[in-house]
Formats: sequence, C-alpha cells, structure tokens
Amino acid sequence: MKRTAAILIANPLSAFGVLLIAAVVLGAVFADFIAPFPEHRGAVVDFANFNRAPGWPYIFGTDLVGRDLFSRILYAYRISLLLGVVVLAIAVPIGVTIGLFAGYLGGWAEYVLMRITDVFLSIPPLVLAMSMMGLLEPTLTNGMLAVTAMWWPWYTRLVYNLTRGEKEEGYVLAAEIIGASRLHVIFREILPNCVPSILTKMTLDLGFVILIASSLSFLGLGVQPPTPDLGSMVADGAKYLPDSWWLTVFPGLAILVAVFGFNLLGDALREILGVDQ
Amino acid sequence: MKRYKLPLAAALLAATVLTGTNAVAQTVLRLDEVAVGELDPGKASDYADSILMFNVYDTLVLPKQGGPGYVPHLAESWETDGNDYVFALRDDVTFQSGNPMTAEDVVFSFDRMKALGQGLSFLFENVDAAEAVDERTVRFKLSQPYSPFIASLVRLPIIDKKLVMENLGEGEGEMGDWGQTYLSANSAGTGAYKVTSHNPQQETVMERNADYFLGVPDAAPDTVRLRYGLEAATVRTLIAQGEHDISSQWLPPEVIKSLAADGAQLLQETGGGAFYIKMNTAKPPLDDANCRLALANAYDYAAGIKMVAITEDVAQGSPSTGAIPVGMYGANPASDILERNLEAAKQYLADCKYDPSEFTLEISWIGEVPLEERFALLMQANFAELGIKSEIRKVPWALFTEQVTKPENTPNISQIFVNAVTGDPDTLLYPMYHSSASGTWQSPEYLDDEQVDAALEKGRTETTAEGREAAYAEFNDRLMEIAPSIYAYDRQSIFAASNRVNAPALSGDPAQAFGLDGMGFSFRLMEMTGE
Repeated sequence: MKRTAAILIANPLSAFGVLLIAAVVLGAVFADFIAPFPEHRGAVVDFANFNRAPGWPYIFGTDLVGRDLFSRILYAYRISLLLGVVVLAIAVPIGVTIGLFAGYLGGWAEYVLMRITDVFLSIPPLVLAMSMMGLLEPTLTNGMLAVTAMWWPWYTRLVYNLTRGEKEEGYVLAAEIIGASRLHVIFREILPNCVPSILTKMTLDLGFVILIASSLSFLGLGVQPPTPDLGSMVADGAKYLPDSWWLTVFPGLAILVAVFGFNLLGDALREILGVDQ
Repeated sequence: MKRYKLPLAAALLAATVLTGTNAVAQTVLRLDEVAVGELDPGKASDYADSILMFNVYDTLVLPKQGGPGYVPHLAESWETDGNDYVFALRDDVTFQSGNPMTAEDVVFSFDRMKALGQGLSFLFENVDAAEAVDERTVRFKLSQPYSPFIASLVRLPIIDKKLVMENLGEGEGEMGDWGQTYLSANSAGTGAYKVTSHNPQQETVMERNADYFLGVPDAAPDTVRLRYGLEAATVRTLIAQGEHDISSQWLPPEVIKSLAADGAQLLQETGGGAFYIKMNTAKPPLDDANCRLALANAYDYAAGIKMVAITEDVAQGSPSTGAIPVGMYGANPASDILERNLEAAKQYLADCKYDPSEFTLEISWIGEVPLEERFALLMQANFAELGIKSEIRKVPWALFTEQVTKPENTPNISQIFVNAVTGDPDTLLYPMYHSSASGTWQSPEYLDDEQVDAALEKGRTETTAEGREAAYAEFNDRLMEIAPSIYAYDRQSIFAASNRVNAPALSGDPAQAFGLDGMGFSFRLMEMTGE
C-alpha cells in the first residue's frame, strides 16, 4: 500500500489517470444522482430547448431533440464501462486458457491453437467486428459479442509467450518432478505468475474496448437509440459541425478522457505490479 | 526536398495551362444530391434522377412556368381524338449525337419505358401503344379516358433510338438489353446538357450542349458538377468557403439556418408534396386500422412543424390537413389542420386487437436524411405515452428501396417525402395508395382497400375539374378513416445556395416557378453571376 502511494506520488501522471478513471466510474455508477436530467437517457423530446449551446442548466448544451448532453454522457459511460467489463470478462478467460495450454503443452496442441489465433489476429479488428455486426442485429449484446470475438486472441498471444518462458523456470520443473498434474502446473503454478501482466493489459484494454465500441456505434452498428452512446453521439453531431459543436466535442472529449485515463492507470499498474515492458 | 519537385512543377505547368487557355472563363455550377444518380431515363424515379433527366433529356411537353397546365416542348402541338392523343413534333430538334429527332424516337422511348417496366413506367399503364403516323407525327392510344396523360408526358424522356440501337447490350429478344448498360453511363438525349462523366455513387459532370434546339443562354453554367452523398457538414463548409453552389434539400434545418445567417441565399420549390410517415398495413400490429389511428392521433404535428422552421418566413413545411396537400384536388381547406389528440389515441388503442405490451414497433429513418432521425425520436416519445415500445433503425436509401419490395421486410414505420412526380394529384396518390402499386419506396404501406382503389381510378378517368375534385375528396375522407399513413406536413423544398448563381425558377416567385418537383433545376434557366 505504501509502495503504491509512493509510486503515485512520484508519478503525477499516473495519479491523474487514477483520478480521471475514478471520476468516470463514479459518474457512471451514480448517474441517477449526478445527472441533472436523468429522464433524458430515454425516449424524451423537448422541442422548447433543442440545440442549446452550453450554459445553465445544460452545462454541455442540448441535442437536437432537447436532451441534456451532460446527463446523456454520464449514462453513456455506464454502457461503455459495462461493455468494456463484460467483453474483458469473457475474452480474458478464453484467451488466457488457450494461451496457457498452447504454451505449456507444445506440439500439435500449440500448432492448432496458435494457428487459429493467428487467423483471428490476421483480420483487422474493426473489420472483423463490423462484419459480425453486419450479420447480426445491432444490439448491445451483439456488440459485446463482436468485440469479444476480436479481443481474446491478444490474450492468447500474451499468455502463450509468458507460459513458454515460465515453463522452463525451476519452480515449474520442481512441481513436475514431484508429480503434479498438468492442470495443477498450468493453473496453480504458471497462471499466478502471469496475472500481473494480464491485469496490466486488461486495464490498458478497457480504454481500447470503449474506443472500438464507440467506433462501431459511430458506424451505426452499436447500441440503438434512444440509449445514449458516445460513438453514436459523435456521429450524429458531426452533421451539424461547426455550428452546433457541442454535440460532437463533449462526447468526443468523454471518449478521450476514458481512453486516456485507462492508459495512464495501466501504466501506473504496470509499475505497481512490477511488470516488465 | 526532392520529392516535392515534381508535384510543384506539375502544379506550375497546370497553372500556366489554365491561365493560358481560359481566355473566356468557364463557369461551373456545383451541387449535390443523395446517391444513387440514375442516368437511365427509363429507370429514373427520385430527385437526383429527375435533375439528370430534365437536363439531359427533353419531353414532348413541359409544365407551364408560372401557372397551371402544360406547354408544347419537343411537340409543336397536340390534339385529342377520342381516347387517343396525336402529337405534331418540331422539325428542328437534333440529339446530342447529331441524329435528328423523329417520331420513331418517341415510339422507341415509349416502348422501352413499357418494356423495362421500371422507374415511373406505371404512369403509362393506360397507354396501349405509341405509333409513328409519319416522321413528325405520333399517336398515343389509350385504353380508357386518362386525364393525367398530358401531365405524365413530362416523365417520358425522348431517347436517341439510332444511338441506342448501335449500343445494344446482350439480352433476350431482338432488343437485347434495350441499351440499359449503355444508358446507365451515357447520355442519349436532346437536352441542354450532355454528360461527360458519370459515377452513380460519386459525381455526374455535365457540360452545355451548344446545339440545343432552344439555345442555352450565355449566363447559364458551362459545366455542372452534381456530386452524390456529401455529408451535411461537408456541404456546410464547402458553401461557406465558396466551393459549392447549391445544397440538396436534405440538409437539416439547422444547417440551412446557419448557412443563411452566413449570407447564403435560400432557394425554394413547391411541387405538390408532403412528408408522409408510412405504416406497413400488411404486417402486425399495424394491419389493424385502430392501431394506426392511435399512432396518427398520438403524433405531435405541431412539434414536427416547429422542427422544420428555418427563418421566420421560410420553413420546410406547413401544417397538413389530410392525405392530400393543400391546393390539390380533394384537399381539405388550409384551416383544417391536423392536431394531436392523445385521448382519441388511447381510445383507438383500446379498440386495437393487439396489446401494446406484446409488440415493439420498428421506426426506420433514411440514413441520408438526418432530419428523419429527429422525427423518429419524436414518434418514439409520442408513442411511448401510449405505452407503445419502439426501436429506431437507420436505413440507407439504397437498402430501404430494397427492403420495401417485400412486405415482411418493410419496417412498421417509414418516413418518406413524396411529391407529385408530374404535378398531377394522380401521380402523387396512385403510386402510394393503389393496391396495384404497392411495394415501392412510395408505397411501403402495402395498402389494399377497395374504396381507395375505386376513388383513385375515378380520379384519373374523370375529365372535369368538379368530377376530379369530388373523387379525390372522397379518397381523402377514406384515407383519414383508415390511416395508412400519418400526414405529417405539407412540404416545401429549401436549398441553401451561394451567391454565384441565380435560379429564378427556385426563387420563390410564383410567376417563375414550375409546379413540378425538380424542374426548377433546369440548368439552362440558371444564371451564373460571375462572383
């Protein structure tokens, strides 16, 4: 704990990242209390107040049907964070397990598993997600599915490389000599030693998942209206640039803050957990 | 540094060449529309297609500028002979290819329209045949009295038969593909402008036809670049920077408003049309008229009008009074405006055989028309007050025109701007509501109603003004009763334009206007100001 505090103090950028993410997460979780117009997350129109520039009580302005942008951004963070967490919660266990087996077992298992992974890695991520979304209905669940499908191979790669290094280590050999089962070696010996790297990557990735999900909805393939979503807010607002700039700038900044914050936090975590670059 | 030398040299060379040859400055008019630009006159149907068609091709008659009725154009005169119409053609018209225009070409154009059966060919359902009596005389034989026939002719562009026959593609029968491949990329008309390059997704470039039979005034643009699918923000910036001249009518009102505030002029066109919110009557839950009436009463008409206001006296729409735009045969008086009535809506919903908790409406909006997204959100909020759930779907125009060909793929609710394609109410209403015309972008309602069909048929066979008025009034009443659509507002097309161009036919002066959508874009009537 002391070490963590020391690292954060020594590295103000990391501390800033922690603050940003704390703000984003708290804003999303307590949106119901913070948002000045919580009902604007849904099917509400208010043509008396549409297309208002930032001011009071609409600090980020209103959109073209009169909904408060600040409130909608808070609720959009909810969706983004939920999406990030769910995607990683599915992609990481799958990717890590495949990576562990491929790295530890070697031979045919390695060949087959890693070539499958390579196939997924060879398709540009956004293209893969777009083609999946093209086939499926554009909903939040399918959006998560599409992003998950493109995300797990990166963890397989990471863990595969780590496992190949770890399996030559003395503690692994020792466990093997005393007759530990393969599963024991993989999950109880090697995996714990990979956790710091995985955690660091997950933190960094949360930002990127949010970015990719926003790109999908920017293209109209993500969450559907009236549910607030940062990517579609940017896309809709772009038609009204430069006059109604707040429609694009604030949701865009919101994406920036989340991605930037998770990056800084990932860096901080890397130092705290002592992970090599 | 070395890398820059070549482009720099090329640029200098280009600059020299341009200044050298441009002793007389070429004037260029730049405008945009939604993709796809269909150049084949037998397939043309939407606004972009109409702009192409009215400039590249000519028709036997034209709508009269500044008044109702039609005047001869490629024809010199016409007379009726029972159900037949006989046209005498001008003898001084040549195609852009140099071939003279004769009665054979008119017959060919008509036969081709019928054979392809696409685009606006339904206008000629009641015409059995066209015959060349002699080189300068054409007889159209109608199967029954059809009062909008002369009006329909503004949608029969005359094609260069000889040129097309030289370029027939493969296909069944002696006419092959009827020149479809050729005409989708090349012009074969008599029009004031000829196509120099055409990419239906990107841009059509046209230049003036120096041999046009009426002559093209010097002030008219030398070259016209019609671009497709530009983003609203792009058009906004291009016009502000002086790199674009006329926007499409699909810009959101805010964008037109800010362009006007920057000094852009506003052009307008009223072509007898309306904004229709169409309900798919062939698919639950909107196959029950009570459900449709519930939606029609729940819709907030006043909020919709407010949304399309641009300045104090210019708006993209005026209040609707029913299925027929004010001013046309059968329209209700301008004072009978439609209003929201939530109580009535609830009553209708209670009588509907579907329970709102058991369905989710699909509300679509055309991706190229951002304004429609707001109408979708307005409807979503309005219908939610009745306890009806809905999903909003963005559909690109090309996909939409595909979806509507099957009732099961057609969204519950679609939003369409429709205008009378010939200026006659028949061409506005028949393609939308007659049971034989269902399954096009104009008719995603899939309406099949005997009374409606009967009234529409009466409207096109009646020859007197009173008879037509009565038929369409009856039609209007029936359409209010069964509500296949929500009649959102009577529309007016507004375009933002630079001050480099004058367009008298679009100036809003009734004496200069054509009562036909798209005709105001006849480039030969525009004047480049040289600014």
